[in-house]
Amino acid sequence: MTIDVLYLYFLIAIPLAGGVAAFIVPNRVKGVKEAIALAATAVTLWSAFSLFKQNLTLTGEWLSFGINFELRLYHFSAFILCAVAAFSFLFVLYSWSFMWNRPYKNQFYSYLLFTVAMTNGAVLADNLVLMLFFWEGLLLTLFGMIAIGRPGAFRTAIKALIIVGISDLCLMMGIGIAGYMAGTFTISKISLQVGGIGAIGFILMMIGAISKAGSLPFHTWIPDAAVDAPLPFMAFLPASLEKLLGIYLLARISLDMFKLAPESWLSTLLMAIGAVTILVAVMMALVQKDYKRLLSYHAISQVGYMVLGIGTCLPIGIVGGLFHMINHAMYKSCLFLTGGSVEKQTGTTDLAKLGGIWLKMPVTFVCFIIAAASISGVPPFNGFFSKELVYDASLERGTIFYLAAILGTFLTSASFLKLGHAAFLGRMNEENRNVKESSWAMLIPMIVIAAMCVVFGVWNYLPLDNLIKPILGEERLAGHHFGPNTMLITLTVIALIGAVLHHLFAVKVNGSGYKASDHIRHAPFFEGIYNKAENRVFDPYDIVLKVVQGVSRFGWWIDRGIDWIYNEFCVRVTTGTSFLIRAAHTGSYSMYVVWSLVGLLFVVLMLMKRF
Amino acid sequence: MLSGLLLLPLLAIFILNLPFRGLMQKLSLVFGLFLSVWQITFVILLWMGRGGVDYWSKHFTLSLTCDSLTLVLLLSIGIVVLTTLLVSLQTFSSEKQRFGFVNLVLVAMMGMNGTVMLTDLFSLYVFIEITAVSSFILIAFQRDTNALEGALKYIILSASATIMMLLSISIMLLVVGDTSFAAAGKAINQSAGNPLVMPAIGLFVCGLLIKGGVVPFHGWLPAAYSAAPAAASVLLAGIATKTSGIYAIIRLATSVFANNESLNHILLIAGIISILVGAFAAMGQNDFKRMLAYSSISQVGYIVLALGCGTNLAIIGAVFHLFNHSIFKSLLFVNSAAVESQSGTTDMSKLGGLGAKMPVTNATSLIAFLSTAGVPPLAGFWSKLIIIIALWQNGLHTYAVIAIVASVLTLAYLLIMQRRVFFGIPNEEGQSVREAGFGIVLTESILALITIGVGVLFPWIFNSVVMPISSFLK
Repeated sequence: MTIDVLYLYFLIAIPLAGGVAAFIVPNRVKGVKEAIALAATAVTLWSAFSLFKQNLTLTGEWLSFGINFELRLYHFSAFILCAVAAFSFLFVLYSWSFMWNRPYKNQFYSYLLFTVAMTNGAVLADNLVLMLFFWEGLLLTLFGMIAIGRPGAFRTAIKALIIVGISDLCLMMGIGIAGYMAGTFTISKISLQVGGIGAIGFILMMIGAISKAGSLPFHTWIPDAAVDAPLPFMAFLPASLEKLLGIYLLARISLDMFKLAPESWLSTLLMAIGAVTILVAVMMALVQKDYKRLLSYHAISQVGYMVLGIGTCLPIGIVGGLFHMINHAMYKSCLFLTGGSVEKQTGTTDLAKLGGIWLKMPVTFVCFIIAAASISGVPPFNGFFSKELVYDASLERGTIFYLAAILGTFLTSASFLKLGHAAFLGRMNEENRNVKESSWAMLIPMIVIAAMCVVFGVWNYLPLDNLIKPILGEERLAGHHFGPNTMLITLTVIALIGAVLHHLFAVKVNGSGYKASDHIRHAPFFEGIYNKAENRVFDPYDIVLKVVQGVSRFGWWIDRGIDWIYNEFCVRVTTGTSFLIRAAHTGSYSMYVVWSLVGLLFVVLMLMKRF
Repeated sequence: MLSGLLLLPLLAIFILNLPFRGLMQKLSLVFGLFLSVWQITFVILLWMGRGGVDYWSKHFTLSLTCDSLTLVLLLSIGIVVLTTLLVSLQTFSSEKQRFGFVNLVLVAMMGMNGTVMLTDLFSLYVFIEITAVSSFILIAFQRDTNALEGALKYIILSASATIMMLLSISIMLLVVGDTSFAAAGKAINQSAGNPLVMPAIGLFVCGLLIKGGVVPFHGWLPAAYSAAPAAASVLLAGIATKTSGIYAIIRLATSVFANNESLNHILLIAGIISILVGAFAAMGQNDFKRMLAYSSISQVGYIVLALGCGTNLAIIGAVFHLFNHSIFKSLLFVNSAAVESQSGTTDMSKLGGLGAKMPVTNATSLIAFLSTAGVPPLAGFWSKLIIIIALWQNGLHTYAVIAIVASVLTLAYLLIMQRRVFFGIPNEEGQSVREAGFGIVLTESILALITIGVGVLFPWIFNSVVMPISSFLK
């Protein structure tokens, strides 16, 4: 075993040890937990980068039955590892200031580090069962991180646990099917055809993957968590790490494990899920009145592009989807960080109370502009280039998918124009007169990520050629052209200009940036749907909860009935019989003799077969 | 040496009643204890193959039998008599009373030994009567109204039984001319068409059912058991009625009537009725001993039910249950004796919370009741299991299910007993109660250990002891 192989263990063990240490260190020792977390993530980051471009495998005995402790580092996993390590390092830095005076700090840092460890494990795992082991570990830290949020976050944590738990259950079943069909759980040895039971296996694993990424219909906990959980959590898990993990797994199962063909119905299914996710979530995002809640719906909406891209099964779409994955992790976490910055300084994320603070918080505002432009797909920021690739591929598969994607872009930019207008521009609220810029610990991560957005946009061939394309390999990319498509760029620019015009029009009609989406919110057809959506009529979790409540009410009545049989009916019958029999024993001699004689009569008659 | 089991108690009674009254009063208990221990040892030795024909048997030409059934019964008799005597040590204060008691117990012991060893109907009747006469006096021992009433009930119903059995024997003599089991069995097969034979059998069986306290012939039993002094009820419930009633039915059903179908049907019905009536009646009783009496009826029902099933396995189960019953029911009655002697009452509405005061009695009562209810791994579980398996194998599914359900009833009423007597907080009168004396505690412990031991070691003794019981079935 070379020393490099040991690094694979380090990637899991160091954050794990850091998490334990952070948990043990008492709260009154200031700064130590933060330092431990920062050190652990820094070491992880360094290890991840030093392992980049290496191919390593490690096999150890574990549970037997073909379930071994197998880790595999290759280009794709190394890329995800670096991204995870970089993001976690920046978030720890950010949290240093953001979480300084919050309760449950030790739990926060240890959950964060455990999450890093579990993510590294899940990414490195080359055995489906081992991956599932780490995957479920993430479920626990997810629950913990939401639960330590504001008071009342526990319900949201339960909701997340149940939703993610159910999709993890699907993943588990899918793994069972895949392992059964392939005869091995080692991922790099699995190569299955999609058909018959294999399709079921694929769909189950796909559910696990896309729900981890936050796609419809497994998304409903995310907007709730946006309000309840501590903010770095949102930037950390739903915005970046979970996207990385979910899309990583989706790419693995649809590229490596199952040979998904562009013409297959499963590919169309994936694309349909992607398109619906884009539109539904962005429509919800458009009418949100809370900074974090609005962002959380975009975190769902953008998953649609990645699923759409990978779902096309065309090399250009897959490259686009994966590129969008890393881009999204950057701009969305940056957006959440600006949200945290605003929350920390003004004490609120309610758009009604914000406004006019752009001069007070210039750095935050600039970072917001860059990230918002990225997510809207404004050239030359990174989101533009990844979206162009997805457009290209989806147009090739079907115009309707392209239309959904471009409509999504239009609505995304409209909603970010609204958000920026309402949060930073417009009339200043009196309460915000003394707002200051955030501390450097919070600004540095924002600046770094925003800068990366620019770098990945302007010099987009760098990440594309060095990070994304090698994932697919030369073979698959052969004969595909990645050059700019003039028509698509024109259409995108038209959509963006349309969004600006729409915004100007909406501000004029509705009176302010804050109300910029009111005419859609109250449009004749949408009003009813929005009302129902806000009352959670469409939330699968609540629907299932209602069904479960109905079932349990029914079960409760049955249970009452059974209880009644045992506690009332049986007791009454027994005591009644007992009373009758006791009443018959009067103590009368003659009666007893008569009984005996009657008994004798019966016995004799029976013996003589007269009965 | 078998006849020694009859003659030695007789001899002891003679010696005890020689004119050295003062000395004999002191020695009486020693005699009794010696005899019972000797009987237990003798049976065990015989079982292990060390006994045999000896001097005594050559000179007394009583036709005695000594098969596996007899041995099991002799062992039970020995254990229960020993228990009774140990309890009497504690419950009788005056030596004079105890002297009378020991004499009566020895008479009963002789009667029971004779019952299980003799091989003709008339001798059987005679020894049953010896046991019964001794029992009458034992029940009436305290001479209060209650005791006299209980004894009188027993005498009246016992007299009915006597009439039935004598009538039956006289018919047998008329038809067959012989009362030995073998001759009677042969005659019954041959003269099946004779209209007198079946009524004769019916009369004898009913007489035995009265002695055994099977529903609907059980009227005397609850009053007699509860009125008898504590030590006497151990003897009565533990072995006396089982020997004179149930053993005799087992013997007749297997070796005389030889699997008569109608008789089996009667026994099945009587058994199941006994189980249910006994259990339901026990459920609402207020008196500790009365509840145990009804429980006794219910448990006897299991034995009769198994007998009615008629297969070898069922009869093994019946005999095994008889043995187990003699142990755990004696134990429960010893517990009641302990409670009675310490708190002065057996009225459960006045008792409560004695568990903390009488730990050994509490614990052993718990073991006995779990064994009675058939909770594994105690002895009672195995015998009930054998019975139920036998019933099921023989296609008597309904009976098997009722037998299982009745176990739940058994658990219920004994749990009620345990709760009302031992659990909870003691009332004011219960505050001063202490654990019973050494004799009782020792007896309780021994009986509880037997119950646990037989249960836990069952997998080992099943083949070596339990299955060979069937050797008496030719």
